[in-house]
Amino acid sequence: MADQHQFETHNAQSQSQAKSQRKNNTDPENTQEQPDLLHKISQRRAQDRENDSTETGAFPAVNKAIPNLKPKTRTLRTKLISSSLVAVLCALLGYGYVIQSNNSGEAVETMSESELTRLISDTNMQVDRLKDRKEQLSSQLRSLQEAADKQSQAQRIAEENAAASGILSGRLPAEGPGVIVRISQGDKKNIDPAILFTLLEELRNSGAEVIAVNDIRVVTSTYFAQRDGTLNCDGIVIKSPYVFKAIGDTTNLQNAVNMAGGVGSQLSVKYGAKVSIETSDDVKITEVAPTTDYQYAKIVE
Amino acid sequence: MAAVLGLIIGVVVGVFVRPDIPIGLQPYLPIMVVAALDALLGAARAYFERSFSDKVFVISFFANVITATLLVLLGNQLGVGSQLTTAVIVVLGIRIFSNVSTIRRFIFKG
Repeated sequence: MADQHQFETHNAQSQSQAKSQRKNNTDPENTQEQPDLLHKISQRRAQDRENDSTETGAFPAVNKAIPNLKPKTRTLRTKLISSSLVAVLCALLGYGYVIQSNNSGEAVETMSESELTRLISDTNMQVDRLKDRKEQLSSQLRSLQEAADKQSQAQRIAEENAAASGILSGRLPAEGPGVIVRISQGDKKNIDPAILFTLLEELRNSGAEVIAVNDIRVVTSTYFAQRDGTLNCDGIVIKSPYVFKAIGDTTNLQNAVNMAGGVGSQLSVKYGAKVSIETSDDVKITEVAPTTDYQYAKIVE
Repeated sequence: MAAVLGLIIGVVVGVFVRPDIPIGLQPYLPIMVVAALDALLGAARAYFERSFSDKVFVISFFANVITATLLVLLGNQLGVGSQLTTAVIVVLGIRIFSNVSTIRRFIFKG
């Protein structure tokens, strides 16, 4: 209130001053008072300008350098300290920035609820997808394992087949229970190929799996022949005693030879040869037949 | 010069040394960084206006960082942490933009 009052009185004063100025200008007689008055007027105007200023604390002067904030004389030491402080602060900023940018991937704490919900549902969906994928892959694995089992079984069968056919074709040596038939030279008559072949057939019929005659492996193409008074088997001369080794059921094989009126009695009666049969649990037939290269027969594809 | 040097040193140190940030500090570090950036740009502007004072810079740096952190802390305690974080980021972003525009004017006016 007091300020306002003063302002009003001051206004009134200035108005009266202005009036007096106009009066002074119109009156040339009072010229000796003029310098003093002019001085007063100009002083008053300066005061007015200052009082009429609209610049208050709410409207700070922008872009005005603050005088004398920095002391004029700065020592090198303070300069160094201040610039190093600035550098340290900037280093802190850069450090924080890099760390934060490295770390910003996993800031779960700063997420809002909706973001977290979305994240959870996303993760759940991903989990479901991965589970599906896992099931697919495990079924694939199962089928592959089955296939591998099948393959190994097939390989096992193939190996068995190879062994069986190897034994059958005389490629592989064999052992097992069987008989060894020894036939000496006949007293009444020389042993001829026919009777040997009959013996061989009898052994075969009674289930001999592998047969060898005097170190010659008997295969499907084995033959007996008489040439120049000597017996030969597969082109190799055989001499008495003729030894038949056969692997198979021992009693069957024995019966086949010893049968009444069979090949054994024929040999002893007709030819006067001595026939001895020896059974063994482990007849070893190490003789192998040479492999034959098939010239005409080919495997059917 | 010291500022640029400091920034480079800080970035290099940050690349090579990677400490685990304590979990309590994690929500505040980005705000701190933005506040510090604002202080730095304010300092750059003052430098161009030839009224840069290192004392003012240091004080404004710490004041900015501490104020922003306290504000976000307050927001976290009131349950509006993320919103207040956004608010602080927006305000600081506006300040950064205005500082940058002033600096740009200084540079292109010559």
